[in-house]
Amino acid sequence: MAKEAKVKVKMSKAEKNEAMWGLIFVAPTMIGLIVLNFYPIIYTVYQSFCKTGDFGRGNTFIGLTNYQNVLTSSEFWSSLLNTLKYAIIEVPFGIGIGLVLAVLLNRKIKFRGGYRTIFFLPMVAAPAAVAMVWKFLYNQQFGLLNNLFGLNVAWISDSNIAWISIGIIGVWSIVGYNMILFLSGLQEIPHDYYEAADIDGASGIRQFFSITIPLLSPTTFFILQTRIIGALQVFDLVYMVMDSTNQALSSVQSVVYIFYKYTFTNGDRGYGAAIVVCMLVIIMAITFLLQKSEKKWVFYN
Amino acid sequence: MKQLKKLMALLLALAMVLALAACGSTADSGGSSGSGASSGEEAGDDGAAANLDSSAELEVWIWDSDQQDGIQEICDLFTEDTGIAVKVNVVTWDNYWTLLEAGASGGEMADVFWMHVQEADKYMSNDILLDLTSYIEADDGIDMANYYEGAVETFTYDGKYYGIPKDHDINVLLYNKAIFDEYGFDYPDETWTWETYYEVAAGITEASGGSVYGAAMNTTNDQDGWWNIVYAMGGSVISEDGTTSTLDSDATKTAMEFVGKLVDDAFAPQSLVSENGTSGLFTNNLVAMICQGNYTLAGFTEYDGSENYSTAVLPYYDANGNGQCDDGERVTIYNSLAWSASSSSEHPDESAALVLWLSSYDMQVKQAELGVTLAGYVGADSAYADVITAKGIDASAVQVMNDSATLISYPHSYYTTTWQNYYREQLVNAWLDTSTMSSVLDDCAAYMNNILATE
Repeated sequence: MAKEAKVKVKMSKAEKNEAMWGLIFVAPTMIGLIVLNFYPIIYTVYQSFCKTGDFGRGNTFIGLTNYQNVLTSSEFWSSLLNTLKYAIIEVPFGIGIGLVLAVLLNRKIKFRGGYRTIFFLPMVAAPAAVAMVWKFLYNQQFGLLNNLFGLNVAWISDSNIAWISIGIIGVWSIVGYNMILFLSGLQEIPHDYYEAADIDGASGIRQFFSITIPLLSPTTFFILQTRIIGALQVFDLVYMVMDSTNQALSSVQSVVYIFYKYTFTNGDRGYGAAIVVCMLVIIMAITFLLQKSEKKWVFYN
Repeated sequence: MKQLKKLMALLLALAMVLALAACGSTADSGGSSGSGASSGEEAGDDGAAANLDSSAELEVWIWDSDQQDGIQEICDLFTEDTGIAVKVNVVTWDNYWTLLEAGASGGEMADVFWMHVQEADKYMSNDILLDLTSYIEADDGIDMANYYEGAVETFTYDGKYYGIPKDHDINVLLYNKAIFDEYGFDYPDETWTWETYYEVAAGITEASGGSVYGAAMNTTNDQDGWWNIVYAMGGSVISEDGTTSTLDSDATKTAMEFVGKLVDDAFAPQSLVSENGTSGLFTNNLVAMICQGNYTLAGFTEYDGSENYSTAVLPYYDANGNGQCDDGERVTIYNSLAWSASSSSEHPDESAALVLWLSSYDMQVKQAELGVTLAGYVGADSAYADVITAKGIDASAVQVMNDSATLISYPHSYYTTTWQNYYREQLVNAWLDTSTMSSVLDDCAAYMNNILATE
């Protein structure tokens, strides 16, 4: 062992050269990650143990008090439930509709490029702008939805449906993105399989479930994982659509929304930091479980 | 070829590192300017005021785009006088405090900016604001006794002045004559008590069968809404020494039960108010009257049907029951913004000079003449109401209120925003079910007392 290690340390000039170039190449990314990601994460964790002073001055260490306050507040748990409810709408519907669109637009139809562009457009628009437009559509008194269909529904002020209304915006915004990823996945499936299935007499639907779905599973897994993480961090839709005096707010506000409220509106950074660290742990746990499940249903050729 | 690729890659990497280094160096220069500020203050202490650097460029932050043109005009006069360039930027209210705090915590901050009662204590106690005391003493034209007393006190900390009141505001009733005509009610006037307000507002709501509402008020309409009722009826929000909440006092509760009656019988429902805002409902002819600060009036002239809009004085509360409005019975809660300067500005003397310029009697008069706002300088704004009236909405009520109503300054403490946001959210429940008003107020008072105990 010792001998081996020694051998490893000795590098030829060419190897040294290569290692140096390697480091130089990763340096910009590493520096960026450290300055913009790692340092803020560590600082946030540090703040979560502090009663923070104004303007980042005079932090005093108070141990786990912030965590105790977060975990015993009903507001945190109800907003966690709200966030999960949002994810339950956005993730499955976003993936299901995205997949159907991708399969349809993978065929040779007229204006295929045009359709793809249209479905992808919401992804290009700024989320805040999207939320504003939907806010107008949902308006009970003057909104297009109620006026077009002659309804009088309080889309965003009725606590029974406001969370669904927000979820619909989320699905609408993300469908195009999921579709593009599925399209790339579809195009990696070799045509031979379908030809062979045709010869064997398999129907289109049978082909879809027996060939497309299994071979698409790596893409599905990737989308599932990133979208769950994304959905759990929902903020802008809630923040833009729901006024702070909206009577349905308590049934819609997400974890990141209350994080924003405490950290930036009330200036209690320590409490806010504890909220996001709790959220980080939850997201990590979910990601871990997903990774564990990967072997069971994801096929890599 | 391979060498060339390597070279290109190296250059690219270098460029990226340099870009990062550049970010670092701007932060450094921000830090060093902080030390420059302290030497500037010393210069001020010596009383050497007039040696201004005319090549300086000052950045001014405000949050109200309606005031931008007028304030830029006054700043341009400053530029003519001193040669110092001034750029007035609007940062909307929603972003203003986040960005200002980010700047104060270690970034680039505007030189001169608006300060608000909700945030003032925090900024003053952390030395973010430039101490203006020596500049004020050195200037013969500025005497703090000339400004609204409650406002001056708001921006004074440890006996030092950190801001000079730029304005004050007056609440009035803005009403839509067409709706009053349609349902056959008399327009509001100075004989109205809050009880009359209730009767008429509820009358309009009832007469229209709920398609139009007599009035509207959100829980966030405190200073420009229910605070005025609470203080007129002898209630309050916070004790005079600022140490305890009085939201659960008997007088406040009685007043809020009255507000609850309004919510039930007269106001537009909370879902409409939160989705459209009271002004949105008003301009769409769904609400007959709303309580508004004078500074919003000019904006209403831009709507279709604004020829029907007019203003009236706020109703009074007939405390002694003699059937007429006596001293102290017509109350408006006023808020003053202040001009403050950054203690980390590279040009503290120039910034202070601009603050003094904006607060001087002449410029306060000018501000009213341009129709920007009422003045922070007492008696410098007699021109204001006429300017607004000339724009299309009769604002004479503003002047009547300004001359004869009781002005009470904005109740506040160190963490005003925190407890204010809390009761604004919680009161939504009381608005939805007014029978819970008393218990919601108890809860808000308890929360507020917890916060006040930590101040």
